[in-house]
Amino acid sequence: MRNFFAIWRRELAACFLSPIAYVTMVFFLIASGSTFLVGAVKNVGNNVFLTSLLFAAIVMWLTILISIVSMRLFTEEIRAGTIEVLMTAPVTETEVVLGKYAGAVTFVLFVVAPAVGNIYLLAAMSPAVGPVDTGAVVGGCLIIFMVTSFCMSMGLLVSLLTRNQIAAAISCLCLIWLTLFLGNIVAAFPFMSPKLVAYLSVLSHVDDFSRGSIDTRPLVLYLSGTVFMIFTAVRVLESRRWK
Amino acid sequence: MIKVENLTKRFGRTLAIDNLSFEVKRGEIVGFLGPNGAGKTTTMRVLSCFLPATGGKVTIGGFDVFSDSLEVRRRIGYLPENVPLYMDMRVNEYLGFRAVLKGLFGKKKRQRVSEVIEACGLTDVENSIIGRLSKGYRQRLGLADSLVHEPELLILDEPTIGLDPNQIRHIRNLIKSLAHQHTVLLSSHILPEVEMICERVLIINKGRIVASDTPGNLVGLMSGNPRTITEVMGPSDKVLQSLEKIPGVVKVTFESCGEWSRYVCDCRKDMEIRSEIFKTVSANGWIMRELMTEKRNLEDVFVEVTMEEKES
Repeated sequence: MRNFFAIWRRELAACFLSPIAYVTMVFFLIASGSTFLVGAVKNVGNNVFLTSLLFAAIVMWLTILISIVSMRLFTEEIRAGTIEVLMTAPVTETEVVLGKYAGAVTFVLFVVAPAVGNIYLLAAMSPAVGPVDTGAVVGGCLIIFMVTSFCMSMGLLVSLLTRNQIAAAISCLCLIWLTLFLGNIVAAFPFMSPKLVAYLSVLSHVDDFSRGSIDTRPLVLYLSGTVFMIFTAVRVLESRRWK
Repeated sequence: MIKVENLTKRFGRTLAIDNLSFEVKRGEIVGFLGPNGAGKTTTMRVLSCFLPATGGKVTIGGFDVFSDSLEVRRRIGYLPENVPLYMDMRVNEYLGFRAVLKGLFGKKKRQRVSEVIEACGLTDVENSIIGRLSKGYRQRLGLADSLVHEPELLILDEPTIGLDPNQIRHIRNLIKSLAHQHTVLLSSHILPEVEMICERVLIINKGRIVASDTPGNLVGLMSGNPRTITEVMGPSDKVLQSLEKIPGVVKVTFESCGEWSRYVCDCRKDMEIRSEIFKTVSANGWIMRELMTEKRNLEDVFVEVTMEEKES
């Protein structure tokens, strides 16, 4: 457990110490904020959930943020050779994978949190918006957390399987976009049951949750997906010891 | 402490280590030598549980590196070849992080970190960012990291590469002071250093052990005749003839440098001929200004055993 916390802290520190972190942080906030604003301005007079617009904007830019944060998780260690000192210390593969994963997820949540504040800022500035629906914000935050957890676990596995950071970032981005549109892809086959399509549509989950309708089924989907990805990553890392 | 039996490692089709077997006893300081590409680093990586072996059995302190990897890693301090470090961390921060990973915490951790900082001469750069340190400091930081948890076995892959002579002396004394409480296996290309530090030397070439003994014994076992060199002023053909007559001398070659000539006498092993040479020269009334036996060192042994392999 101590090892896990040590690696988690180290990973979080590495995120904050690298220049990429600040660049992505600034651009993420600008991009998600302006996307939200454009959406809100376009829909003036329409009956839309502002929380839906907010979390849709966040998820859209979150994909890029996660690819950039996750690309260096293992590729950087392998490139710099520090994986050798890390893996020859008495730590288990599970501790290394979980520590790194938790560090990266914490960093992303840290970057995303101020973006959620945008809606309160808008409500404070414009009396026409009315009070913010806290339940909807909580639902939105929950789905953002789930999507982040799942996509980051995917990014972690990709960074473990590639040797180049750019390759890792691009593959991860592609996989995340495929996941986001998985529902639409499945829906293209007429023989697929609508229930399955609904179960796999990440974008509609985001929409539902950010309107305050919290459903446990997607939570199970993301949670099991995350566990599967992390389990695979641990096995891949372990295989370096016997392959 | 280390027991390696028939260790084999392949990378695809290339055979990096070929049926390597050796043993290192507790408290020994063993030098691990070999030309570049001989398999030193690969062997050290297998010992430190970083690379799996293709075949054979390696145990460290009674634990198998494959099945009891975690127990083995608790007992070793490993310094890899190019000293990979987290460039964005500070020196004390890094050592603290490594100490936690190696199972130290609280007061003990702080105490050990400050001890190794002092022992490795890092006090001046304690708060510096690692990326800004010179090669010498990074090397010492790597060594400090490998020592922090007081491991039973230290595996050091070229610990003094890139250091200046003063730093080398410092590290050498540090390693020497570790002897007897720790077992040390170190690889190096600086042979006089190995000769000074190590009680035993293993020389490998092309993945196989070609020599294993104390540096002194290895030099003694060398083939070829020991040489005695003398510089004499006198008629060179006569000097040559009388030198060749001395019992024990096998062959004499000479080169002239002005009125002085330099004679190189190959002589039989265990024969001390210097006094005979002196007597001959002085009896003839020639003048001598130099008389010495050529000292053979580990470097000659190294060249001999690794070149032999190449030729055969």
